[in-house]
Amino acid sequence: MDERPVEINLSGIVIIVGNYGSGKTEVSINLAVHRKRHGIDVRIADLDLVNPYFRTREAKDSLSKLGIDVVLPPQEYLQADLPILSPLVAGMIRRPSELTLLDVGGNDVGATVLATLEDVFQDKSVTMLQIVNPLRPFTDTVEGCLRIRGEIEKAAKLAVNGIIGNANLIDETSPDDISSGYEFVQTLSGESGLPLEFITVPRELLSAIDLNRFECPVLPIDRQLVPPWQKAKEFG
Amino acid sequence: MGKVLMKGNEAIGEAAIRAGCLNYFAYPITPQSEVAEYLARRMPEVGGVFLQGESEVAVSYMIFGAAACGERIFTTSSSPGISLMSEGISYISGAQCPAVFVNIMRGGPGLGGILPSQADYLQSTKGGGHGDYKLLVMAPASVQEAVEMVMRAFPLAEKYRNPVMILGDGLIGQMMEPVEFPDHLKVEPSNKNEWATNGMDTRKSKTRNLVKTMYLNPEELNAHNLKLKAKYEQMAREEILYENYNLDGKYKVLIVSYGTMSRVCRTAIDNLKANGLEVGMVRPQHVFPFPHQAINQAASKKSCQAVLSVEMCMGQMVEDVERSVLGKRPVHWYGKCGGEVPTPEEVMEEVERLLS
Repeated sequence: MDERPVEINLSGIVIIVGNYGSGKTEVSINLAVHRKRHGIDVRIADLDLVNPYFRTREAKDSLSKLGIDVVLPPQEYLQADLPILSPLVAGMIRRPSELTLLDVGGNDVGATVLATLEDVFQDKSVTMLQIVNPLRPFTDTVEGCLRIRGEIEKAAKLAVNGIIGNANLIDETSPDDISSGYEFVQTLSGESGLPLEFITVPRELLSAIDLNRFECPVLPIDRQLVPPWQKAKEFG
Repeated sequence: MGKVLMKGNEAIGEAAIRAGCLNYFAYPITPQSEVAEYLARRMPEVGGVFLQGESEVAVSYMIFGAAACGERIFTTSSSPGISLMSEGISYISGAQCPAVFVNIMRGGPGLGGILPSQADYLQSTKGGGHGDYKLLVMAPASVQEAVEMVMRAFPLAEKYRNPVMILGDGLIGQMMEPVEFPDHLKVEPSNKNEWATNGMDTRKSKTRNLVKTMYLNPEELNAHNLKLKAKYEQMAREEILYENYNLDGKYKVLIVSYGTMSRVCRTAIDNLKANGLEVGMVRPQHVFPFPHQAINQAASKKSCQAVLSVEMCMGQMVEDVERSVLGKRPVHWYGKCGGEVPTPEEVMEEVERLLS
């Protein structure tokens, strides 16, 4: 019998943090869809105040179609590089839906926004997950990941509670990258004492990988944040 | 070293380090700021220097100073910042100092917007600052190509004793792609002792080197400009670089496009081919010197009915395309400039409209 905890079972307020380009937005969007498809009410907020392109807002239409509520800065400032935090965000934390996902900007700089919500987070149970792609600069060592974790926790005034493994080279990801990435986050989990919540696998690689070897759930990724010459994948 | 996943801006910073450039002076601006952020962290690790100037004007003269001393130096900025640096770029060109400038273009004019654009084509290839000078201008279409171009830019800047510009649009800076870094370059500027103000003791010389741009004697200034002109002519002979796409068949339309815009065009060409319509493309990898001859040749093919310059601006490169085609075929422009990148479907429609 398959004893692998196959399903991701996240609910409540979940904050996704990590270093620049670790895949926070792509994973947040796919996680939102995955949970919604399991019958959970999902709201997602784009708290990325530092990144100018490739943000959750790019996927608003496809998420809305699936009945996922997307909270964004006001329309007139959507394409500005201004640190605008919609007042709706505080409201959605005070009255969270079954899963309230906060997609935060990169590094400690991006996570600083969380400290401004400190009052709102009080008396709420919050899960803050650090995404790690060991194929990115600065998070290719356990020390690098722990350093970023410390910087983010300090800036956010919140503690990281778990890890998401997101080893990928976008279109060039190989099954080997997934395997070695899994081993890396396992080691990180051991050394940090943080549980490994799940790892990601591009959906097109699922058939090439023996998922039973993973002791954590797997989130299939249908890539949404694509350059203009490619099409976003249909959610599987 | 295997592949890593990097944002274009980070990869540009890392490529400069691997090209042996340990001096980076800059001023942050979207969508280029990650270069500064990356190098603020990396430069101290490799014994290099990152210095943020108080403005882009200041940065351009800090670059001039370092370059005049024979140091390998570069900076990065985005459109409005490059406008501010243009005065310094003119001085650096006049003084014949090697330096590398990276422009991650955003929409203009003025502050414009922060999304991708190619509206600084004329600024980079025809001047920007004052005087008769030219830059060698490279236009990468992928993060990998940006890395390779940055690493080639330093030796070329030194070969010509002239600034090199890397002209990337906002997407080149912001998108993430897998990259592999070539080995570290180990090239020392071989002739710097002949001209750099690197200290007479350093070069064990009794003659003074003077770096200057002022020539009050009109004959001397004319002679100086003739010398510069000869360098630009040498670039036009030796530094043409372009890529052909789908030019073997009987294409009815020739597209000319560069940077990430050319990747949209590639998808459009593939889709049109699947529909039974052949379209070819010449992609200039260097936009100065411009591949006039290659475009003229490709446009001259019997099957070719029209040439289309596709740009993320209101039609700038199209002037060079017209100068290449020399009236042999009608030349058209298609593009957008606001941050919206034309889609493959829009390019396909434009090609079909031309033929209808």
